[in-house]
Amino acid sequence: MNSHFKSALFSQDSRFYNEIKAGSLAEKETRLNVYRNNVFVSLIEALSDIFPVTHSVVGDDFFRAMARAYIVEHPPSSPILREYGQHFSDFIRGFEAANSLPFLADLAALERNLLTLTHEREHDTLTREDVATVFAKVEDPSTLYLSLPPNTQLLASPFAIGSLYQAHQSDGKLRLDEVDIYGSEYLLLCKSFLYAQLHVIRFSEACFLKNLLQHKSLEDAIPDEADFDLGSMLAKLMKWQLISRISNQPPAIHQQEK
Amino acid sequence: MSCLANKAEGALSASSGFLSRTGISLKPVYYQTILTDFPEIGFFEIHAENYLSKGGPAPYFLAQIREHYPITVHGVGLSIGGESPLDVDHLERVATLVETVQPEVFSEHLAWSSHYSQYLNDLLPVPYDQATLDRVCRHIDQVQERLQRPMLLENPSTYFEFARSNMSEVEFLSTIAKRTGCGLLLDVNNVEVSCFNRRGNPYEYLNAFPMDAVGQIHLAGHTMDTNQELPLKIDSHDDTVSQNVWGLYQHTLRLAGDVPTLIERDGNLPSITELLKEAQFADEIRQAVIQERHHELAL
Repeated sequence: MNSHFKSALFSQDSRFYNEIKAGSLAEKETRLNVYRNNVFVSLIEALSDIFPVTHSVVGDDFFRAMARAYIVEHPPSSPILREYGQHFSDFIRGFEAANSLPFLADLAALERNLLTLTHEREHDTLTREDVATVFAKVEDPSTLYLSLPPNTQLLASPFAIGSLYQAHQSDGKLRLDEVDIYGSEYLLLCKSFLYAQLHVIRFSEACFLKNLLQHKSLEDAIPDEADFDLGSMLAKLMKWQLISRISNQPPAIHQQEK
Repeated sequence: MSCLANKAEGALSASSGFLSRTGISLKPVYYQTILTDFPEIGFFEIHAENYLSKGGPAPYFLAQIREHYPITVHGVGLSIGGESPLDVDHLERVATLVETVQPEVFSEHLAWSSHYSQYLNDLLPVPYDQATLDRVCRHIDQVQERLQRPMLLENPSTYFEFARSNMSEVEFLSTIAKRTGCGLLLDVNNVEVSCFNRRGNPYEYLNAFPMDAVGQIHLAGHTMDTNQELPLKIDSHDDTVSQNVWGLYQHTLRLAGDVPTLIERDGNLPSITELLKEAQFADEIRQAVIQERHHELAL
């Protein structure tokens, strides 16, 4: 019975109609339509909550139509709604009407990535004072190993989706007309206190952070790029509270010894 | 014996806020105000499914608010009325939350929302027949066994009746409560909505309802669907409690005695002050009915 009911919600499947007590076919339709409407409206809202910038970029009518098509193809599999939309980015990539916006799928993937990150467990990081204390004690800081929280992510995007995302935030730091969407960008996704943060970074900074994530020492992590400034990079990492550990040994060895 | 009576014997002092003062739904937009102003309110109710993350704002603010207020946990995703087996992973997550939060009550719906691996995000109705009754009882046994506490089952808001139903909704709920030992969550707005939609009398529904099993009351707003075919009331939770629902609430309290009550709001959220006013109005009705009953006893 549940499976016929489910089919009737997603299509005009009339097999379920015998189950409904009503005087006429029109009355059955009207009563069932309340559930059809509840399912679609609530799931479209859920997708809009997960992908607010994607929604804003394509506009309400387009988003609702695209979301409706997605819901039919990929109904949720979990009662935890914030986990919904796992395939939305791939779906957009194949959604013909969105072809004129080649960056849209990447933008959606970015939004979902950030939401997932927000809901992940927090990792302890060092305070500015902690970091300063360690650096003050060491003769040659270049031999140190800096660890970033394990959920820190680096992304190279062929489109300026990071700037596009930031231009849609209410902090007003970036205006939409300042974004050249067809410029490539390097993005840092990390968690600061309770929420995911997105930073648009330079190529050289991305190289440096990638090296840190691969457990290279500070000296070995410095990229061979003219515009790289270690001082300003470290200041940013402290401001973003992104240093989880400083040691004179790489993390793997450190953990083994424990 | 009702859940509430069980609860009251053991932990009256800790639960007194829950028992004596009306609560409201906890929503993220209210976190800061709650932790700054500490409004006088009986308790806050959360939807279990919104608090199952390992990190982020939800568990963080809940832990802080829990230090100052009783909490009730309301599940919306266990699909107790479903034909497919309960999702044990989901039950496990909900049980972990219940263990952490130690709520006054845990409640769920007489409805289904999942069919095997598909979740439909709506509280869909079930037929009132023996096969469904047996299945719902098995699912409630499973939940109560895992949670190690009795749960409350909520009467649904429905938009049609099943041709195959051969029991009334009240009969169905009464039998479940007797068989499983669960309590009932009486949503008075759902009574208004469902009775209107099946052209029944909500007062007759309440007169037949097993009030001794009621552990909590929900009050919410509804909207009117004015389609061409037939008008239906929609359980939208996006407006203030309607005048006729307040009337039904007073009638319920006269039948049941005082019952912990929630003002439930999920959409079109007003300032918290507006919800606190509605909670206060509920408290005034509760006090008035308590006074009436004292006078009756005195006579």
